[in-house]
Parts: sequence; structure tokens; C-alpha cells
Amino acid sequence: MSDDSSTESAARWTRVQQAFHEAVALPDAERDAYLARASGDDESLAAEVRAMLDADARADSLLDRGVSRAAHDVLGAGRAYVPPAGAFGAYRLLHPIGEGGTAVVYLAKRDDLDTTAAVKLLRHAWLSPMRRDRFTSEQRTLARLDHPGIARLFDAGTLDDGTPWIAMEYVEGVPLTDYCRVNACTLAERLRLFREICEAVQHAHGHLVIHRDLKPSNILVTSDGHVKLLDFGIAKQLEADGDAAPTRTGLRLLTPAYASPEQLRGEPTGVHTDVYSLGVVLYELLAGRLPFAIAGRTPLELESLVLAGPVDRPSSVARRTPGAIEASADAWSDLDVLCLTAMQREPERRYRTVDALVRDLDHFARKEPLEARPDSPRYRLGKFVRRHRRTLAAGAGVSLLVVALSALYAVRIRSARDTAVAEAARTQRIQRFTLSLFEGGDAESGPADSLRAVTLVERGVVEAASLAAEPAVQAELYQTLGGIFQKLGRLDRADSLLQRSLAARRALTDGAADVARSQVALGLLRVDQDRLPEAEQLIREGLALSRRMRPAGHRDVAVAMTALGRVLEERGAYADAITVMREALRLQSALGETSPEVAAAATQLGNDYFYAGDYAGADSMFRRSLEVGRRLYGANHPLAGDALINLGAVRYQRAEYTEAERYDRGGLAIIQRVYGPDDPRTAAAMTMLGRALVAQVRFDEAVPLVERALSIRERVFGAVSPKVASTINELGIMALRRKHYDEADTYFARNADIYRAVYKGPHNLLGTALANRGSVFVARGDFVGAERLYREALDVFGKTLPPTHLDIGIARAKLGRALLRQRRFAEAERESSAGLQILLAQTSPATSWVRNTRTDLAALYDSLGQPARAATIRVALADTVVASK
Amino acid sequence: MAAGDGSGAVRDDAIAEAPTARETLDTLFSLAYEELRRLAASVRRNDAAATISPTTLVNEAWLKLASSPEAADTSPLHFKRIAARAMRQVLVDVARRRGAEKRGGPDAISVTFDEGAYAASGSDDLLALNAALDDLARLNPRQAQMVESRFFGGLDVAETAELLGVSEATVLRDWRAARAWLAVELSRHH
Repeated sequence: MSDDSSTESAARWTRVQQAFHEAVALPDAERDAYLARASGDDESLAAEVRAMLDADARADSLLDRGVSRAAHDVLGAGRAYVPPAGAFGAYRLLHPIGEGGTAVVYLAKRDDLDTTAAVKLLRHAWLSPMRRDRFTSEQRTLARLDHPGIARLFDAGTLDDGTPWIAMEYVEGVPLTDYCRVNACTLAERLRLFREICEAVQHAHGHLVIHRDLKPSNILVTSDGHVKLLDFGIAKQLEADGDAAPTRTGLRLLTPAYASPEQLRGEPTGVHTDVYSLGVVLYELLAGRLPFAIAGRTPLELESLVLAGPVDRPSSVARRTPGAIEASADAWSDLDVLCLTAMQREPERRYRTVDALVRDLDHFARKEPLEARPDSPRYRLGKFVRRHRRTLAAGAGVSLLVVALSALYAVRIRSARDTAVAEAARTQRIQRFTLSLFEGGDAESGPADSLRAVTLVERGVVEAASLAAEPAVQAELYQTLGGIFQKLGRLDRADSLLQRSLAARRALTDGAADVARSQVALGLLRVDQDRLPEAEQLIREGLALSRRMRPAGHRDVAVAMTALGRVLEERGAYADAITVMREALRLQSALGETSPEVAAAATQLGNDYFYAGDYAGADSMFRRSLEVGRRLYGANHPLAGDALINLGAVRYQRAEYTEAERYDRGGLAIIQRVYGPDDPRTAAAMTMLGRALVAQVRFDEAVPLVERALSIRERVFGAVSPKVASTINELGIMALRRKHYDEADTYFARNADIYRAVYKGPHNLLGTALANRGSVFVARGDFVGAERLYREALDVFGKTLPPTHLDIGIARAKLGRALLRQRRFAEAERESSAGLQILLAQTSPATSWVRNTRTDLAALYDSLGQPARAATIRVALADTVVASK
Repeated sequence: MAAGDGSGAVRDDAIAEAPTARETLDTLFSLAYEELRRLAASVRRNDAAATISPTTLVNEAWLKLASSPEAADTSPLHFKRIAARAMRQVLVDVARRRGAEKRGGPDAISVTFDEGAYAASGSDDLLALNAALDDLARLNPRQAQMVESRFFGGLDVAETAELLGVSEATVLRDWRAARAWLAVELSRHH
């Protein structure tokens, strides 16, 4: 067809279609008249359209019947395939005995020897070379093996159309688990069968073949009670040196219930892979069910179970299962060890070889101690089971990350073009989930696991780098991975990825809205890097851009506002932070009240109120956070624990110490249960509780609690950290209250040094450390030294806190006392009465601060010759004493 | 040997390490083939009205492939387009072989299939549709792609519209005309 005629045909097709659409819209009776008019003298056009109208009305062509019918017509499901005589060497096909997706299996007979065989043919071999390769690889594998426990290869060949076939031993038998169930096999019988399986696998390993798909359906038991391994379809041949090259098995090839964690993670497989699957088979034989409940789970859920789900001991499962096998408690204890050792998630903790597993089977049979039993077996097994129960532990979290990341990639890619809000929201949830795995996990998991996490994320970076054709998706992935690195504390890597994401989005024509998200993400990184001015600038730019690009109330705007609140809080600009966070919370809440974002924003705003000294505001925010957290996650989630601790802090500030204690104990119980006794978060809660106890003069309870918290924190955060300083402060207060002045002075001085080193400028916490040290000086009677420290503290507070802040009230009242003791009455009266005003506004009149300050003022007015004012003060003092009784 | 493995479809798509584009396509074709077999089987078991839709199949195929590295740079829509092409290709290949077998051509081997009444006309119809689609592609490439995506890939109207960058009304209109025209072309072969 030449260009001209092709243009002509296309033009004619356009006319045909026009006429067709016009005619179709008309009643039948008017169509002929229309066509005659429209086609003029082009009768063939009218005929063509008429035929089309006819076909349109009948609607019975192939296109209307559907592709399923078409597929059925040509593929002919279930059609028997009868190959020519002599095509299979000495074998004559009798009838089909099985059919899988790719292969069909025939029972065949060898007449000269009067034996049977199974002949397996690859269907439609022409479809792809890979199908042929996979099929012939099984043939090569089987050719290496010759063992009574493995179905033997007899012959192999290729039909003249290229269809490969193999003739192998025909096994009449039933799958392992069915056999054991039907015959109600005893423990001894089950272990004998299992040992035979191990021997067959040993043989394969001895010939450098790894099965990789061991499961009961691939293990048949013959009528004479012996096992046969089938299906080496995905077996791998090891290199001659026995080293396992990292070969991906491909997730969807596997049966997840029996697949090893390393297979699911795409890590190198080896002898240890079969050891694991043997462990699962043994588990099923012993416990009567699989280690993981697989019914009704999606493959993804199943994978995360295998990677991180809890594993009960086979003995405890068998005990709960009616009709399960019976064994003595001692026997069970060894079987648990044996089975769970084979099933360890980390390959290096499993039996190193099937030989080692078989040796322990034999030890068990002879009632000898197992090699897998360490010096203190209870400890190690207990540890294993505990590890598996702690599904939220960081180690497991890292494994889950693999699953999460792959889901993330899938969703990310999907959302590249689906800009639907719902999809984006889902993506964000997955992102959050992935990130939350790293939330504070480092401390507990230690360097080894965080290294593994880093390796994993680096793998993600490599995958992301290959997405150059989808720059928008790539930028999104870089932002996510950068966020993960940030959580892992690898700020340099986070920096480069977030920068890359930002640069990529700037290069996109329609990337402005995403540029804003990148700016905000990078800004939050700058906060972690303590580059606050840059952080604020980036976040403000991002916020402004989001406001331009997005509708009011969009999630991006809410996120940017929250980030801005964070930077302002870090800067200590609490009043501004409050304004911003109120708006951020309003936006987040409009997007859905019961959300992690609302809980987080309420907590952040509560903190701002708290730091700014607005305890009523803080209280209501922490309550809201508690409420939302409970609705989202239930009463025992760490979020609820944190909220309780925060509410305790508010009570403490209001000098309601028994209330504070109650909240703190509630919070500590949750936090300790979730994170364990040695976690910094547990330490923080302990400190808060200790403080509430100190305030009630219950030192004997408080001191051990707080000292324990300090040692946890020093170990985790190092000696110079604000997180250590808050604990030191409590210890200082306790020492002061117990009149251990030198100890107290050392504690507070150390804190001031820490805050100076960390903040390198005025910070309200430095003020607190100075003021507290001043109190030590007052207690010692060094009023000049105390005055110097209080003034220094007030100087810092003046730069960092609003003038009516509680801390300023306390410091001024105390400065008043230091001046009073120096008999500088006029100056003292100014400070004390200003301090009292603030204290009365912020706390209850019954606090020791208020009472002490009033006592000071009464003495001051006496000294200043103002008895009436002194009397007024004393009346107020008496009233509160009465009221508080 | 007994057919110990009942999970053929699950185990069917071994992937080599670092698959090349060629291998990815190969995998996709294998997958399309397996899905078509299921599709065909569903017709046999049930009435045509109750069959699995190609949409379901393509979606399932996508779910299977989505988490694998070879699909990493593929969007679902792009995938469906490739899958539609693969389905067409596989069906046409099978139909050609059927034709060759019937005629006993040089490529045929002496095997017999218990072909149903559909087989002959089914193969011919498919080959005719394939040729007619090629013709349509010369007249209007967009329409040909639309038919391929909708018929072989099960894309719905919205997806087809997005894929081709046209409105849904245009898709419906083009589809109706193309369907009628193709039906006329197919009827010429009977």
C-alpha cells in the first residue's frame, strides 16, 4: 500500500465511520434513505456501512464471543495428546496420569522389560526457550542422582517438533502427611520416614544438587512404606566447590509455607535452604500442623509470617491438638530443639548440613544428648521462642521491611500514573509503615541489625536507580529511601537521596507539587542535622509552594505545616510553634480525626503548650492524642503509653504528684511491655515516675528506678546527650532533697555542661540546670553564688521563654529568696512578688513554691515595714494550708 | 510417577537472575499462555456466560508479576497493554499451528487431537481477526490498538481511554465502528 493510497484508505474509513455513526443513531426505517443521501454515487460505501449496521445488530462475531471462547477454541482445554509410536524410545505411552500447567505426565510401559515408567512431556515447548530450559534442567539434575529415595531418571529425549520429554521411575504412593494421617503413624514411624527423606536429600547434596522445594506433596510414601522424593523442577546444581551462588528462586515459584526465609528474601540458597524445609516438614509431622497458620492468608501475609511470625514449639501445638502423637516430656523437649534448630530463620544458626540433622535424629533415637543443645539449652531455646514471639522486635522489623519494600515498589509504580488520592493515601500508609519499623529501633537491635537494614535499603537504592525511565516514580522512591536512611541515622545518605529526589522533581515539567514535598522532607532532615535556619527556609518554601499547587486543606499542606511547627519548636519559638501547630492540627483533623497524623500533631502541639507553660492546653492535647491513639491501636499501644507519660508530666508541673504517679505508672507498664526493660523509652518512663515519687519524698522507691534509667541512657545515647541530662536532673533533685549537696551540685553542673555543649547557645534547659544549681547554693547558704546562678538562668530564660513561664516564676521567686537572705529587701520584694504572680497563674496555691514564696514575702514586708501587706500574705498562706488539708 | 505436584501454575515461571528485557517478555508470554489455558478451561467447565473475564486474568497476572523485579519499570496499564499483545500473539501462534496440523504441512507432526467442532473455525476466526486487525492498524492505528487492548487484554473503557489518551466517549464510538467493521471482515472468511 503506497502512502497515497494509504492516506486515501484512511480518509475513506473516516467517511465510512461517520456514515455508520449517523445511521446507527437513526430508526431502522430511515437508514436506507440516509445512506443513499450520504454516499451519493459511492454505492460501495453504502454497502459497506449496511454490512456494518447488520453486524452491529447481530453482535455475534468472535469479538462479541470474547477471548475466553477464542482461547478455548484453539487451546482446547484438557485435550489429550497422543504422541506417535516409537517417539519415546523403548517406552509406550498408556494414558495420561497427571497434568500441570506446563507439563503432562503419562503412564508408560517398557514392553521388553515389562516395567512401567512415568513420561513427562513439556506442553507447547515452542512457546518459549525458557520453558524448555527449565524442563531440561530437571532432566540434568535427575541424571546426577541415583538413590532409592529419589525417583530415578530412565531416559530422556526430544520429539521431532522440539518437545522435550523425560521417562522416570513411576512411583505409586501417597503424599507424606496423608500417609501419616491415614495410617495414624507413631512418633517412631514418623521419625523413620523423616530420616529416609533426610538420606535422600543427603544424597542429592552429595551430588551438589539442592532440591529447594521440599514439601509433603513432593514426598511420596510407597505402599511398602518407603519415601520417594519427586520434582526437582526448581532444584539447583551447586558449583563444584559446593559454594552457593546467589540465585534468585523467584517468589511465585515457591510454596511459601515451606520456603525458607532466605528464599523469600531473595538471598542465596544452599544446603541450609533444604535444612530449613526439612525442619518445616518435621514440624508438620510432629505438631500435626504447619508452623504458620496459612489458611486465608495472602501470599504477602504468609511471607511476613515466615519471615517474622511467632513459632510455637511443636510440643505445645501437639498438646493442644486432639489425636496428635504422644511422647514423654523429655522427648518433646529434645524434639522441640531438633525441629526448631533446623527451622532457625538465620541460616547460620541452623544445622549446618543434613548430616548434622541426621546425627541428632540418631542421638535422639539412642536417647543421647543432642548436639544442638548448648550448655544451657533452656536459655537458648527460650531465647529463640521469645525472639519469634516478639514480632515487633527490630530484627523482625528488618525482615518485614523486605516485604514492605517490595509492596511499596509495586504500589509506587502503580501510583505513578494513578494520581488518585486514594491510591496516594495508601502509598503513604505503606511508606509510614516501612519507616515506623525503624522508629527508635537502632538502640535495641544494635549495630549488626542496623547494618543489615542499611544493606537492605542500599539494595532499594540500586533498584530505584534502574527506574530512570520513570523519573517521577524514581524521585518518590528516593524520597522514601532517604527517609529510611534518616531514621537509621545515616544522615549523609539521606541527604544525597533527598537532594536527588528534589533535583529530579525540579526537572519534571509537572513536578512542582512534589518539589514542595521534597523541600519539606529535606527541611526535616536539616532539623535532624541541627541546621535550623536552612531547615526553616526549606520548609517555608515547601509550604508556600504546596499552598499554591494544592487545594486548601490538602494533606501536603498539613504535612508542611506540621514540619514548620517542628522546626519552630526545635528553635524554641514556642508561641509561633503553637500558632502553626494549631492550624496543622486543624488541617490534619479535617482529613480524618482518627489518624496517626492527628495523634502526632496533637502530641506535638501539646509539647509546645507544655514548653510554653500552658498546662491546660497541653493537658487537652495529650488527652486528644491518647483518645485517638486508643481508637487507632487499642489501649496497650506505645502511643497510649507516651500520652499517659505526657499527661503525668502535666500533673507533675501542676504539683499534682499522686496523679502524676498514677499516669506515669500506667504509661511505664505499657512502654516496658512493648519495648522491654532495657530500652531507652522504658528508661524515660522510669525517670518520669521516679520524679513523681521524689516529689512525694519517696526516695527509696525513686532512686533505684532513676539510677537504672540513667545507666540505660548513658549506654544508649553516650555521656553527653540531653536525653541523659534529664535523668541526671532528677538524680540531682533527689540528692538535693536528701541534702547530698556536693552530689547534687555535680549533677546539675554536669547538666549545664551538657546543654552548653549540645545547644551552643541559650536554651531554656540550660536555664533550668543553672537555676537548679542555684538551689544547691541556697541550701548550702551561699546566697551570693545562688544569686549569680539565678540571674544567669533568668538571662537564658529571658531569651528563650515567654515572660510568664513557670520556670521564670520559680527562678524569680528563688532569686528573691537569695536576695532576702542577703538582706537586699527592696530588690528581693520585686523578684518574689513577680515570681508569685507567675506561680499563681501557672500552678496551684498549695505548691511548695507558692507557699515558700509567700513566706519569703511576708518576711520581706515585715523587714520593709509594711505589716498590713505582710498580714495579707499570711492570711493567704493560712487559707491554702487549711485548704490543702 | 504420580503427578505429585498439583501446583503447576504456581511453579511455572522461574526467573533467572537479573532478567533481560527478552527474558521478561518471555516470562510474560509464558504467563499469558498459562492464563489463556485457564481461560480456555473455564469455558469448558462453565457456560461462556460464567467464564473468568480476561480482565481478571490480566489483573491476576499483573499481581503475580508486580512484586518481581522484571516488572519494576512497568506500570499496570503498560503491563496490560503488553499482556494484551502477548495474548494475541500466543493465540495466533497456537491457531497457526492448528492450521498447519490440519493441513499436514511441513511443520506438522503426526499427532492427533480430539478437536471439537470449534477448533477449526476457532483457529480460522482468530487468524482472520489477526489479519483484519493488521488491516485496521493501517487505516487507524489507534483503533487497532484499542481492539487489541479491549479484546485480548480485557481493558475497560476508562483504561483504554487513558492508554490512548482519548475520552471514554471516543473509545465507545471507535469500538462500535471497529467491532462492526471487523465482524464484516471476519464473515468474509466463512
